[in-house]
Amino acid sequence: MKKISIYKPSTVDEAIQILSQHGTSAAVYAGGTDLLIRLKNRLEQAPSYLVDIKKIDHLRYIQEDGRGGVEIGAATKLAELADSRLLREKYPMLVEAINKISSPELRNASTLGGDLLQEVWCQYLRGGYSCWRNGGYICYGAIGDNSYYHSAMGGRLCYAVYPGDAATALIPFDARAKLATPQGVKELSIEQLVPGDLLVDGRIQSHVVRFNEILTSVVIPPPKPGLRASFEKLRPRGVWDFAMASLAISLQLREKTIDDARVVFGGIAGKPLRETTVETFLKGKTLSTELGEQAVSVALANAAPLKYNATKIDMAKGLLASGLARLNA
Amino acid sequence: MQTIEGLLLEPVGCLAEFPPEPFHEIARRLFARRGKLSNSGSRCYWHLLKLVDEFSPQPLAEALEIEAVNASSVYEDIVPALTELKAMGVRLSIASSLSDAAITRFLEKHSLGEFFAGVWNRDNAGGIKAVPLVRALRGASLQPENVMFLTDTVEGIKAARGAGVHPVLMMNDPDEARRLAMHNPAGGVVSFHEIPDFIRLIAAQSKSGYFFSVSTPGRGTS
Repeated sequence: MKKISIYKPSTVDEAIQILSQHGTSAAVYAGGTDLLIRLKNRLEQAPSYLVDIKKIDHLRYIQEDGRGGVEIGAATKLAELADSRLLREKYPMLVEAINKISSPELRNASTLGGDLLQEVWCQYLRGGYSCWRNGGYICYGAIGDNSYYHSAMGGRLCYAVYPGDAATALIPFDARAKLATPQGVKELSIEQLVPGDLLVDGRIQSHVVRFNEILTSVVIPPPKPGLRASFEKLRPRGVWDFAMASLAISLQLREKTIDDARVVFGGIAGKPLRETTVETFLKGKTLSTELGEQAVSVALANAAPLKYNATKIDMAKGLLASGLARLNA
Repeated sequence: MQTIEGLLLEPVGCLAEFPPEPFHEIARRLFARRGKLSNSGSRCYWHLLKLVDEFSPQPLAEALEIEAVNASSVYEDIVPALTELKAMGVRLSIASSLSDAAITRFLEKHSLGEFFAGVWNRDNAGGIKAVPLVRALRGASLQPENVMFLTDTVEGIKAARGAGVHPVLMMNDPDEARRLAMHNPAGGVVSFHEIPDFIRLIAAQSKSGYFFSVSTPGRGTS
């Protein structure tokens, strides 16, 4: 493993100072279930300086805010989210999604912030290939085995899919992320936080967080009355794997009429993919057994699968049908 | 790779899909080749250039080249990407082994002439493969280390190396691209629309210090 130095700041400001000092050779360290593996895999892009934020107060909490929403500290463990009575009461779909992330052991270590900002799990990157994210200028996933962890919806240099489930599940609730930056607090929607492959500080990454910024919390607005939501996930193994396709769907219902909808696919694109065509199609419709088939017919029209992953699109459409059936049950 | 200032483009296989038949027919007529017809226009084209290089500089069958140009179809992301590259200040040149008449017809047919500061072909460059690339570099006063040449064949990679520019794969066919990746290109893109981002990334890496000198396909080093 590459030689590293670890800082243990006690405040967010101090952490930002250290990050600013070391530039892209430093990284925030909390759960370590992604970062330490990158170090162990000796990836070129792995940092030399870790800024351990575990000792910083007020980054690990789940609390109701004054408006009936919930704020979650970025260093809160996924297991703590899964066990939270408050979250289970207000956002059961989120808890369902969290319980489908990796294994119980890993959920005990992984944090919400880490899940949102994790690096992609392309087997070529993790295997040390010199790809776009690891010091090279080619995507081996685009020309190699892309059956599991690569985009079926096109790409931008890197074709790996965004692997996180938490972001997919948070978008239907219109959740927002708070970032501490040298210029002060910045607030973004989750869609803005993880817009897919883009160039940030000379690197390709799935999120917009710069080298000297820290994700501090996620704020979920109060659930609206009549909201029903469901999370579905297909993965190569029944437990402990990333999504080949996943779906987070929420419907704002008045009796059986859909007033509003959020449809977000995971595991098929370089970002959690909000399918607004289906959302528009669903608005005003009556929730029925036939609706799933109709929604599937308009979904993912701009799919662009690679050689081996067209099946992801079929899976995603299947999840949409089953998700709507579940909400109709 | 350093900051990229110029891009050399061979229309066959990089800007447009060409049919293989006309190039195959030229090889058959001039060199009595009866090999199997490839399904790639680009592969047939570069194979033909190899034959020309190996045997003699015989004049190619221009009419058949023009037939190929007439049957070519430009990839849909070419015009927006060329527009973006031009706006970024990247100097664009055609560096092709096709004839002057074929290139002129190609640029007219697809209305692409406005994008290129230089147009070099085997007639005005006086040769094929690396020769038009070298002439294009001189014509645009570019240093080879600041220039990319897009290609989807081994011969194209060799031509780029011969001219000292960075060979970048157009990974049109994943199986072929996987084979070509073993020939140590400087990089590879799935679609032409990724080229502006590629150039931006290199510029950003140079600026930020997050920079890797040479791209070597295969496993990275620690």
